[in-house]
Order: sequence, then C-alpha cells, then structure tokens
Amino acid sequence: MNFEKVIFGFFIVLSLTLNMGFFLGEYNNPAHHSVYELFMVVVVNLVATGLKLGDRSQIGALLLATSLVADFELIAAALHWTYAVHIIGTGMTPDVMANVVALAGGALVANIISVIIFVSETLMSRL
Amino acid sequence: MNASQDLSRVSFIVMREMRRPLMAVLIVYSVAISGMIFIPGPELDGEIQYLSIFHAFYFMTYTATTTGFGEIPFEYSNAQRLWAIICLYISVVTWFYALGSIIRLFQNTFFLRAVEEWRFSKKVNGVTGPFYIVCGFGDTGSVLVRGMNESGLRAIVIDQSEERIQALKLRNYKLAVPGLCANASIPKHLVEAGVESKHCKAVVCITSSEEINFKISSMVRLLNPKAGIITMSKVDDYEESLVTLGGEVHIVDPFKTFARVLNACINNPAFYALNNWLVGDKGASLDKYIHPPVGGWIICGYGRMGLEANRVLAKNGIKTAVIDPHSRRKDEEIDTYIVGHANEKTLNHAGIQEAVGILAADADDGHNLGALLNARRMNPDLFTIVRQNNHENEKVYTAAKADMVMQPTLVTARKILLILIAPLLKPFFRYLLQREPGRAVILKELLILLRDKIGNKKPLLVTIDFTAEKSSAVIDCLKQGEEVLLRHVIADPRNRDVELDLVPFVIKSQGEEIVLPPKDYKILEGDQFLFCGTLSAKHLLKSSINSEYTLYYLRTGSYMPMGYFMQWYKKRQTKKG
Repeated sequence: MNFEKVIFGFFIVLSLTLNMGFFLGEYNNPAHHSVYELFMVVVVNLVATGLKLGDRSQIGALLLATSLVADFELIAAALHWTYAVHIIGTGMTPDVMANVVALAGGALVANIISVIIFVSETLMSRL
Repeated sequence: MNASQDLSRVSFIVMREMRRPLMAVLIVYSVAISGMIFIPGPELDGEIQYLSIFHAFYFMTYTATTTGFGEIPFEYSNAQRLWAIICLYISVVTWFYALGSIIRLFQNTFFLRAVEEWRFSKKVNGVTGPFYIVCGFGDTGSVLVRGMNESGLRAIVIDQSEERIQALKLRNYKLAVPGLCANASIPKHLVEAGVESKHCKAVVCITSSEEINFKISSMVRLLNPKAGIITMSKVDDYEESLVTLGGEVHIVDPFKTFARVLNACINNPAFYALNNWLVGDKGASLDKYIHPPVGGWIICGYGRMGLEANRVLAKNGIKTAVIDPHSRRKDEEIDTYIVGHANEKTLNHAGIQEAVGILAADADDGHNLGALLNARRMNPDLFTIVRQNNHENEKVYTAAKADMVMQPTLVTARKILLILIAPLLKPFFRYLLQREPGRAVILKELLILLRDKIGNKKPLLVTIDFTAEKSSAVIDCLKQGEEVLLRHVIADPRNRDVELDLVPFVIKSQGEEIVLPPKDYKILEGDQFLFCGTLSAKHLLKSSINSEYTLYYLRTGSYMPMGYFMQWYKKRQTKKG
C-alpha cells in the first residue's frame, strides 16, 4: 500500500464530493447553497493541489493541471460572492447565486476528471 | 545542402526553359498595350477618349486568354477595333505558345526526375532519428523493410525499378519509407539517401547484382566511415574483398547461412528449433525437433546451395549422390555424379530406393518441385529439403509439404533483420554452439525457460541500450551512485515479486559479452542488453527504465514520495527515526 496515494486519494475525493454537495440544489436559490461548504471546497481543493506539487511524472502533471483549473474556478466563485455581498452590497440575489453555482459547476467537472485520472492510473499500475 | 542544390537545379531548368516564351509574351503584350493607349477612341461629350494603361492591360488580359469580356470601359472606335483584331490573333497564339512550353516542361523526364530527387532528399533530411538505407527492393528488400517497420526501424529505399518504387509507395507502413528510383551505385544517389548523415546507422546492399553490391559497399565506406555495411553476397571472391573494407561489415550469404542451419539441424536439433522459433518460421515451435536422417542423400542441382549442402553432409559423414545438368567440376569429391535432370532414370541411378533424403537445390522452382514429386513417388519415406527461389510460388510449396523449405530471399532478409535489431544474437548463438561440456544442458534449460515464459506467444527480440536517451531513470540512478541490478529492471512494475516474461540472453558491457547473465548483474552506463520476450513485457520494461518512480519501487519495494509535502514528511520521519 502506498501511503501517499491514500492521502492524495482522500483529499481529491473529498474535494469532489464537497463540490458536488455545494452544487446540488436549485441553481439560483441562495437557501440551497451554503457559504461554509464553498469555503471547505476551496480549502480541500488547495490542499489536493499542494500535495501534487513536485511530482515529475506525466500523470502527476495532468493531475496538477486539472486541480489548478478547479482552484481557479472555485476562487473565482468565492470572490464573486464576496464582491456581491460585502463590497457593492447588492446582497445574495438569485443572479449572483446563479453565477457562483455556474463557476462551482465548472470546478466540479475538473474534479471529476481528476478522480477519473487518479483511479485509472491506480488501476493500471495495480500497485 | 543537397536539397538546396537540387532546388537550384530545378529552378534553373524552369528559368532556362521559360526564358523564350516569357520574352515573347512580354513583347507582344507591351506592343499591343501601347497601341491600345495611343489609338484614339470614340468621341464622348465632345472629347476624344483614350484607354488608360490599366484598362489597356485589362483588355489584353482577357483577349489573350480568349475570355473576351467585350469593349470595356466604353464602346471602341473603329481604329481601336482594327488594332484589337491584330492584337487578338497574335496574342492568343503567343499565349498558347507560352502555356505549351510550361506544360512541356512539366512533362520533361529530366525535370520530373530533378523534382523527384529534390522531394526525396527533402524527406530524408526530415528524418530526425537513426535510419538505415536499403539498396534493392526485391523479394528480400520488401520482407526486410516490412520487418524493420514492425520493429520501429526507419528505412530508406533505393531501387532501380520504377515499378518497385511505385509498389513501395502503395504499402501501408507504420513509419514512412521514402523511396527513390535510381541506381544506388551512383554516389550522388547515396548522398541523396543520406549516407553522409550522422543518423545513418547502416547501409544494406541487397541488389541482385554482386558487382553493384560490392561497389555500393566500397562507396559507403568512403562516404561514411562510421556507417555499418550489410551486404548480400554469394560469391567468395567478393566476400574476401568486402571483409578488408574495414569498419563494421556484415556479409550475408544465404547459402552459407543455410549450410550452418543444416549443420545445426543434424548435430543439434534443439538449437535448430530455437533458431527457427526466434526468426518466426511458419509452424516453428520449441517442441518440434527436426531430425534429418543419416544415410544416403541425393542432391538435385549442384549450384551454390548444392555445393554448401554437400560440404555439410560430407563433413557429417553422409554419402551423397549429385544430379546436375552441368558437367562435373574436377576439384569436388563426390561419390556419384550424374549429369542430367532429375527424372526416373537418373534418380534410380543415384540410388533413390536406398536413399534417406533428397535436397532439391536447383535455381529453378519447376525443376525443384519436379524432382521432389518424382523422388517421392519412387520412395515415399524420403526426408525432403527443397529450395524455393520465387516468393510467388509460396502456395505450391505449402502444398508440397516438404520437411524443410529453403527460400534464399527469406533467409537473407531474416538474417539482416536480426543483425539490425539484435546485434548481440550472433555472440549468443556462437556461445550456444561451442563444443564445450555442459552447453547441451544449458541449451535444454534455456528452452524450458523460454517455453515457460513465452510459450505459444510470438517471441520478440528486444535490444535495450542503457544510455541517457533510452533509459533515463536507470542512468539517473547510476549517477547518484545507486545500484541497479538486472533483476530490478525485469521485475513486473505491478508486483516486483513477479518477473516479466523476459529472458535475458546477452549483455555487452565495456566490450565484453556476458551470455545468460546472472540476475544480480549490476547495470553500467553504456551496456547493451538482448532479451527475448513478449510484446507487453517489452512495453513494461521500457516504461520502468524510464520512470524514476517505478524504478524506485522495483529497486526498493517501497514508494518514492512524489509531492513536495510527502518528501518533506519522509525526511522528517527519517530524521526522527
């Protein structure tokens, strides 16, 4: 058993499931999407990215790339939320919610790709 | 350099051929246009209109090319119309003359050749990795190029026959095989094929002419002292001169190869089975041993093959009778020599009833099959060896069901292919054939191992170079002072306790050959390995010697930390411990 794979697998799957949890619900209803869940997704995703830094293999490069895409979209979603609620003060309107959920949906796809690559690589090497 | 030279030649031909027609068009156009400008046009609004230079040129363009848009931009005066009539006839004729010259140029064989050669050398210059030049694309050449293609070696073909080069272009090769229709014994064409390039690893001379093969070989030696030369030769005189060319020279003589195989077959059936299985002979198997019986043999056709076979048989104490239409050469020691073709009378005379084997070695397939059928009818228990000269007769030879079929083109192609893909096979075979105690046991154990590992799958000879390019992970390890053993690289990356289906044959290390190396051999940089294994094992081996993570697992059994976090964590753990 490869201990590094356990840790990385834990974080990458956790980030996918949290992301899915945030994404579920009516897309423009602020009551269905928790800000704390978004916060968790961002943190877990960043940890997963950090774990992949330093890997020189081809698959490692691919995993890092998809992870970075998810980070980028999730941070954009969080910034949009902050901007709407705290900076211009429009509050959490359905319009803003829809934008945030759309960005989180994009990150969800990147996370799904990450998990597919991770699982198939592990199955292929059968270590 | 060659490409630009050829290009300048091509453009020179174009310019020279086009000089006159272009001048003619130029003069006719300029005179016609001047006329159209100066001749007064119709009177409009009280002013005489003249054509502008632009409009005059436009008018000439559509007139000379017989398009005829009419009178633009205004209706012409009668004076202009008269001039237009003259212009039309002259310019149309000139225009067609120029057009015809261009078409004639494109049909000129010299021009086409120059373009073809230019394209060929451009293609050759585009080859970035190592490549091999094959001179001659007959039966042997096509089998060889097909085999090289399957093993991932790049070939460049030169052949004199237009038909064969056309056939080459229609084949479905995995790697592109550029072909030039030219005489390979002209140095210019060898240079176009890239003989001087540092990527040119070897030149294979397998044209049908001994003389041309020899000529190409010597030219290659002069043009590129580093390139290997592989030449097919059936004549001893040439072989002696070839050896003295210097550098890496391999001479492939299909009849001598056959003689060696026949000798092995008589003395060492296990080796013969191994050889046939490795070259991928049809129906060959490690379990199928062929024993040519000892007793009287009849040789029909006493050419080069008959001669070599007779020598081998005589060496093994076998009595032979020869049937050949040519009269006997004096210096040969043969028990019975019958002049004539193989038929009932001559075969009887040769003692067909008491004979145990027949070798039909004529240079003509019809004679060979005839001799085979005749002999079989008179003595059905004969062991039969028959020579197949033409690849097209494959079907008949399969139906003939001889015990051994010797096809010189195939023997040559396979031998050359082995020299190219598995240069270490020769010392390996030499080792196995040495008359030393214990060799028979080693061979037997090897066969059991091969049967166990590869079995019915297609055997593949894999040559691995331990260089920074071909196995980066291993070299990195060695540079860090770590040891990499043979058993590490042939372990299965999925579970290091299991070995891949690979049998190490030979290691060439610092000029020395280690046959059947021990599993804990320490790999050094620059080593060359020869394995026999399966295709999937080859892929796994190549990936594990290039991936530092896999190699670390194979060496230590634990996993190398991949990310910075894990590296830091591991370091802390070891510090603590």
